[in-house]
Amino acid sequence: MIELETIRPFFEDKKELLAEILNRYPDYGRRSAVMPLLWEVQRSERHVSEARVEEIAGILGLHATEVKGVMSFYSTYHEQPLGKYHLQVCSTLSCSLAGSDQMYDWLVEELGIVNGETDRDGLFSLQKVECLGSCGTAPVLQVNDVYYERMTRSRCKEVLAALRRDELPEPWLERGGDNVSAEKAQIESES
Amino acid sequence: MEAPQQITSRKDPRFKVSMYEHVGVKNSWTLSYYLGHGGYQAAQKALTMQPSEIINEVKASGLRGRGGAGFPTGVKWSFMPPVDGRQRFLVCNADESEPGSFKDRYILEDDPHQLIEGLLIGGYAIGASKGVIYIRGEYYQGYQRLKQAVAEARQAGYLGSNIFESGFDFDVILHRGAGAYICGEETALMNSFEGLRANPRLKPPFPAQAGVYGLPTTINNVTSLASVVHIINNGADWFSSMGTDDSKGNKLYQISGSVERPGVYEMPMGASFRELIYDLAGGPTMAIKAIIPGGSSTPMLPFDDEHLDTPMDYGSIATKGSMLGTGGVILIPTEKCIVNATWNLVRFYAHESCGKCTPCREGIAGWMVKIYQKLVKGFGQEGDIELIEDMADKIRGKAFCPLADACLGPVQSSIEHFRGEYEYLIKNGKPMYSKSDWWSE
Repeated sequence: MIELETIRPFFEDKKELLAEILNRYPDYGRRSAVMPLLWEVQRSERHVSEARVEEIAGILGLHATEVKGVMSFYSTYHEQPLGKYHLQVCSTLSCSLAGSDQMYDWLVEELGIVNGETDRDGLFSLQKVECLGSCGTAPVLQVNDVYYERMTRSRCKEVLAALRRDELPEPWLERGGDNVSAEKAQIESES
Repeated sequence: MEAPQQITSRKDPRFKVSMYEHVGVKNSWTLSYYLGHGGYQAAQKALTMQPSEIINEVKASGLRGRGGAGFPTGVKWSFMPPVDGRQRFLVCNADESEPGSFKDRYILEDDPHQLIEGLLIGGYAIGASKGVIYIRGEYYQGYQRLKQAVAEARQAGYLGSNIFESGFDFDVILHRGAGAYICGEETALMNSFEGLRANPRLKPPFPAQAGVYGLPTTINNVTSLASVVHIINNGADWFSSMGTDDSKGNKLYQISGSVERPGVYEMPMGASFRELIYDLAGGPTMAIKAIIPGGSSTPMLPFDDEHLDTPMDYGSIATKGSMLGTGGVILIPTEKCIVNATWNLVRFYAHESCGKCTPCREGIAGWMVKIYQKLVKGFGQEGDIELIEDMADKIRGKAFCPLADACLGPVQSSIEHFRGEYEYLIKNGKPMYSKSDWWSE
């Protein structure tokens, strides 16, 4: 007889987290929890599988197609697992004027993958994304949740080398404009 | 006695930075820092006032919504129906995603209590005991700081029940987006918050009548709510002493593109592009041909003395054929092929089209982006410019929400001002300006 492997529900051992998310919203707004639940799964498993979609639907009393409908609308939930480091290159105008197209091309050559792909080791995924709100500190490379701003060619090499050593480097503080600089921050913290 | 002159330049000694005073300072996001710099005093004052007094104060200040549309904030608040026992919501739109705009981000990251205080005051003014902050998913650091700030504010009693012994209860729900520009449109944002696909809703009913979960709702931008804190602290007269006839107060202008010191600069409204670009941002780094005045959707203007000396207020920019929008200025260098720059933005809008209505889905996300792709690859044909113009004419004003018209801003203005570059590209199969490497070492 073939034993089918059962998939352990994602939230089975995360009752507190689940309760905290559901309690954020009023009883009549239970459905609002769909995005935070999808995100927890995405963050932990780097994608949201069909089984998880069904699980979330079950929690919220929805049909799986309704959850999938929401999931497919947004660009940050993925059907296929992302690599450990998800490199997102902002490609919109201000970043493009600061060289993000060349940064993307360089990453393609370095990693051997193109937009939307993951390498065979599951270490890197590459994605071209739209405006990340880092126009004043362009170009920006987002790695997982972290912004690396003013990504010059040398900084980009530095970050990629660190990631290949399996280190996520500390991002440097970049501000510009009125909210000036690391110096100001330093002075304030010392005074 | 002569009335004192309006403040319309940052060089005016009476001007002081308010919203961005603490941005960029280490630990400015903590409650202890905020309280040490006058934090929550405006809220304490506001909660001793009548809600109608606050609304009148904000109306008198002349504050217009800082998210782009510029609707007067106090007037919007007064649209809320009489209190009838139903739950009411004040939603903060922190889904900042218009290319060229990044002013809200640093408030979220470096001064989240300022936003919470503004939300508390606004909630009290409209009788809403629930606030929602819808923050775009990519702003993860902002979300973390905000989450910590909300926890601290709850702990200290600035959120919760009976705040400042006033009998007013207020709490905040933080809700993260997941990468969709359309969520900046207020009705799409409400659908997204409710756990639906973020398609815009038909208006009317307006949010005040039937908003989040069908309940009375007001939606304000981050910077509008931050402004309210300072209006309550310093008075409507202080606010309206800055700016011009139709545009009062101070505003966060952003500048990006080829300029020495890009970033966010707080200025009185009515200051000129020249002051922002040269006096604050240090001037362009290379020859410039076009200014996008207020975020990617606002029609671009030629970079010349006439436009540099235009005051950055609603009316003045409108007379030049563009819009103030979010105040996100982008400088496009002469060396950048204008068709390529426009294609970049068309591609953005095509990617972000939600697919609900035909003019946008087929017009922008289908035809428009394909024609531009063809042009930039050098396969343009005679008649393509006319085809774009014809399509733009058929799309404008006919889509369900403003996204499609937003895309037409750069399209139509680039053809109007730089038609020669389009013609050159079509005739020669290569752009007039061919600089292709923009990445610095």
